[in-house]
Amino acid sequence: MRNYEIMFIVNPQVPEEEIDKINSQLEGIITSGGGKIEKIEKMGKRRLAYDVGKHREGFYVLFVMAANGDIIKECERRLRVMDAVIKYITVRTDEETRRFDKIKNYRQKRAARRGTGRKPAPVEPVEEAMQ
Amino acid sequence: MRSAKEKRPAGQKQYYRRKKVCKFCVERIDSINYKDVKLLSQFVPERAKIMPRSISGVCSQHQRQLNDAIKKARNIALLPFATE
Repeated sequence: MRNYEIMFIVNPQVPEEEIDKINSQLEGIITSGGGKIEKIEKMGKRRLAYDVGKHREGFYVLFVMAANGDIIKECERRLRVMDAVIKYITVRTDEETRRFDKIKNYRQKRAARRGTGRKPAPVEPVEEAMQ
Repeated sequence: MRSAKEKRPAGQKQYYRRKKVCKFCVERIDSINYKDVKLLSQFVPERAKIMPRSISGVCSQHQRQLNDAIKKARNIALLPFATE
């Protein structure tokens, strides 16, 4: 299982219910294939940075999930077929997050080491005693 | 004025140049995400070209991540490929 993000743009003229329908369809594909959805976020209407077809605006939707290649393949096929979907992008995120965790761990360890080495704690009680 | 100019040996810089620092290293921004348009747009000037390292001062590791993020953002129409 790997972590992926799928972001896609839906035609803004399409009613909200239609977007929900697309979402539930994708949800069905992912869960039935053994994947796990972490987040579905409707990011709302946004101006596109450039025209896509005839569209200047789009409704952004973000899926965050754990899945495998087959599920992603199926999702992308579906998105390509749907008329309401203007554009989509899939990004693999697990490698990135692993790297961030590593950096974070390293930083924490370093901070802990520095904290014990310097012992900044005894400074304050002395000041209090003087007052 | 002129005398001051003449005193300066040839080839010396005439003004003090501030040392550039990598924004991502200084502010400890680990994740350069393609969704963070506000952050990315700081590195794409008007023509929507990616700002070179020599101008922005970003370190090579972060510049590489930044490049990837900007290209992803362009793909999903969050950032423009080119303007005009």
